[in-house]
Amino acid sequence: MILDWILNLDQRRRRLLRNAPPGPVADYLSVPFPDRNRYCDETEFLALDLETTGLEFARDEILSVGFVPVRALRLHFADSTSLMIRPARPIPPDTAVVHQIFDDQAASGSELHEIMPLVLRALAGKIMIAHHAPVEAGFLAAACQRLYGFKPIFPAIDTLELEKRSLRRREQVVRSGALRLGALRERYGLPRHGAHNALNDAIAVAELFLAQVAHRSASGRLRLGDVF
Amino acid sequence: MTIELQDIRDFLAAHRPFDQLPPHVLDGLPRQLEARYVRRDTVILQPGDTNSALYILRSGAVAVRDERGDLLQQLGEGDCFGARSLLRGGDVVDKTSAIEDSLLYQLPADAFHMLRSEHRQFAYYFEPMGGPRLREAMQLRGGMSNSDTGVITPPVRILMRSDPVSLPSSGSIADAARMMTDSGISSVLVIDDGVLRGIVTDRDIRSRCVAAGISRERPVQEIMTRDPHTIDRNSLGLDAMVTMLHHNIRHLPVVDGRRVVGVLTATDMNQRQSASPVYLVGNIGKQNSAEALAAIARRLEQVLLALVDADATAQSIGRIISAIGDAITRRLLQLAEEKFGAPPVPYVWFTAGSLARAEQTALSDQDNGVILSDAFVADQHGEYFERLSHWVCDGLNACGYMYCPGGVMASNQKWRQPLRVWKEYFSRWIDTPEPKALMHASIFFDLRAIYGEAQLLRELQQDTLPRTQNNAIFLAYMAANALQYRPPLGFFRHFVLVHDKQHDRTLDLKKNGIIPIVDLARVYALAGGVHGVNTVDRLERSAAASSLSKDGATDLLDALEFIGMVRLRHQADRIRRQQTPDNFVSPTEISRFDRDHLKDAFVIVQTMQEALDQRYQATRFL
Repeated sequence: MILDWILNLDQRRRRLLRNAPPGPVADYLSVPFPDRNRYCDETEFLALDLETTGLEFARDEILSVGFVPVRALRLHFADSTSLMIRPARPIPPDTAVVHQIFDDQAASGSELHEIMPLVLRALAGKIMIAHHAPVEAGFLAAACQRLYGFKPIFPAIDTLELEKRSLRRREQVVRSGALRLGALRERYGLPRHGAHNALNDAIAVAELFLAQVAHRSASGRLRLGDVF
Repeated sequence: MTIELQDIRDFLAAHRPFDQLPPHVLDGLPRQLEARYVRRDTVILQPGDTNSALYILRSGAVAVRDERGDLLQQLGEGDCFGARSLLRGGDVVDKTSAIEDSLLYQLPADAFHMLRSEHRQFAYYFEPMGGPRLREAMQLRGGMSNSDTGVITPPVRILMRSDPVSLPSSGSIADAARMMTDSGISSVLVIDDGVLRGIVTDRDIRSRCVAAGISRERPVQEIMTRDPHTIDRNSLGLDAMVTMLHHNIRHLPVVDGRRVVGVLTATDMNQRQSASPVYLVGNIGKQNSAEALAAIARRLEQVLLALVDADATAQSIGRIISAIGDAITRRLLQLAEEKFGAPPVPYVWFTAGSLARAEQTALSDQDNGVILSDAFVADQHGEYFERLSHWVCDGLNACGYMYCPGGVMASNQKWRQPLRVWKEYFSRWIDTPEPKALMHASIFFDLRAIYGEAQLLRELQQDTLPRTQNNAIFLAYMAANALQYRPPLGFFRHFVLVHDKQHDRTLDLKKNGIIPIVDLARVYALAGGVHGVNTVDRLERSAAASSLSKDGATDLLDALEFIGMVRLRHQADRIRRQQTPDNFVSPTEISRFDRDHLKDAFVIVQTMQEALDQRYQATRFL
């Protein structure tokens, strides 16, 4: 049961907290996750997107992090953040084309160990929102493992999974490409989003999430458990 | 380094009024925003709420309705709302709801007020729509004018001849003639003790002295034109041109206060610009066939183009283009009288519609009629006037003033009647108003004498005008008539949402913009017992006669001028592309600036229509 899973989630948080080394990870784990019975409009979320050198958590590196908080089902641009990370190894040219992040630009960024505490502090007590969230959660966990020798958990709403679930419920066939961020935004009447960077994508994901919540609220306020 | 939230900044920078903000202010703006998503039919603001943000529509559409549920505004991408409630401390009066799924940005009230206090253009954008905002816009436009062509933009003092030749009113006609010959001029002024009494032209000497058999030794005051039209030395050449064409005169004394400082003649103006309308009108009088007149009429579009390019006002352009129509009609009637002989009884040829109001732009249909003297006897005189009228109407048609589809033409016997019949017509329209009569009333209350005994038309108007003034039922019907065409405020939705495949729709600026104002002005004029048919004259005189508020008059005058200019620029564009000028403006050709201010103009018209409806309870007749 999903209910057990979320209850287990906070139990797991407490168990992890007991074993976590003092520092950023323990601080992160010390703030309780929101209860799944809480209303979405009372829950704090953090839409987050990473740009990476590839898709392998263990080998590839994070190049930038962008996030924007969602409170009361509103994006708060004042607290939006964009962070560049200086990679340990040169950026492979093929990914540079996608992200338009090049070595010299990345070189102006900070070290991963300077960035991660900021990310963890922003995420504490919030539910992460990401499109295809396992990638973001996986990279963040791997980074914690590397820096602190300890992997926390990152409870996240996956906007892609959320969409897939309701399509499946209506027994609709999912065409390839139909679940991409841009395609989904278009379906919800959201404007085209611009340049491909972590913060822009985080905003795009957050707006998609608001649309998904609005479209699922026809019969009343949604609780976290309805979308989680 | 790139600016964070660049996308949002770019979006703001592309829309009013944020495009008015300096770059560094725009850079900081996105961080002050919040974003939310609302589904269709979600109420965003409603009466009783306290609003705390300016809303900016990032995508989607919303509708603003008043407490009765009447649509006030539809807004689309890039539009703002909520400003009015913020300006009254947050009190929400109207209901705003999403009519499409929408993404909204919210700027907190504090930030909104800060921007208003620090940036004038930003504050100005949120001033109440309508008159004040439109006026400021028109000044902006006026400031853009940079052309200086020929006789239109220079002031009269540069175009005139100074040191005018003059003589006292006791001087003889022979003296006047000698002075003209000696100085090589075509007119002398008559001045007593520094006060302008009159003007004598070479033509006056020919027609009023020599041809009339008056002695050359008689005092000049016997043949002079008394109290002639004058023009101020600082007026524009264009104003002089309008005055000359409108009153059909060729000499204008130029004054500085009460002192005469010079004379401006049509010839002076023509020498500076051979393509000028004054020259064109002068030439019309020399043509001897309908074909030759048609050749001149074909240049009318080029005149329109030149006037628009010279930034002449819509009111001036209307007068000039109409003066050309007048001259052509007059010349056709002279030629008709040469062809069919002198008229057996006095008559007056009048025009109706836009030409009568001196508001013609491009060529349009002809509307005209004839009032015959009551000495008219059908058996004896009928054939003469029938042939004359047909010949003139055919001539006008050949010149491009197409036959009136409604048959309001002198060639139609119904509209070629003795004065007493015309009086009966008007009695019927005034006393028993009904839809058909109403249509005729709106045409026949806009009449202007073009040729013949103008006194006949004056008599008709003196008979009818007092009877309309206090006739509440008749005025209510005329008011209802003025509410037939409503300004298309909802249309602006389609300006915004070009992606909804509606962008091929056009706006009829005549029917939905000009005509409602013309109709309003007619009601005020009839209610105020005001003479004159030109819409600007009517509005000004109605304000003076208190049948219209001063503010209302100012607002409507500005709205008329603005809509008129947008229409004229559209027509000029079409002429330039060798298309027939029309009144249909499509959203793609209109600038954001014009769009915003057209909206202001339409808001004015709507407000005044509502006020008229209240006063006469006119909708009960619709």
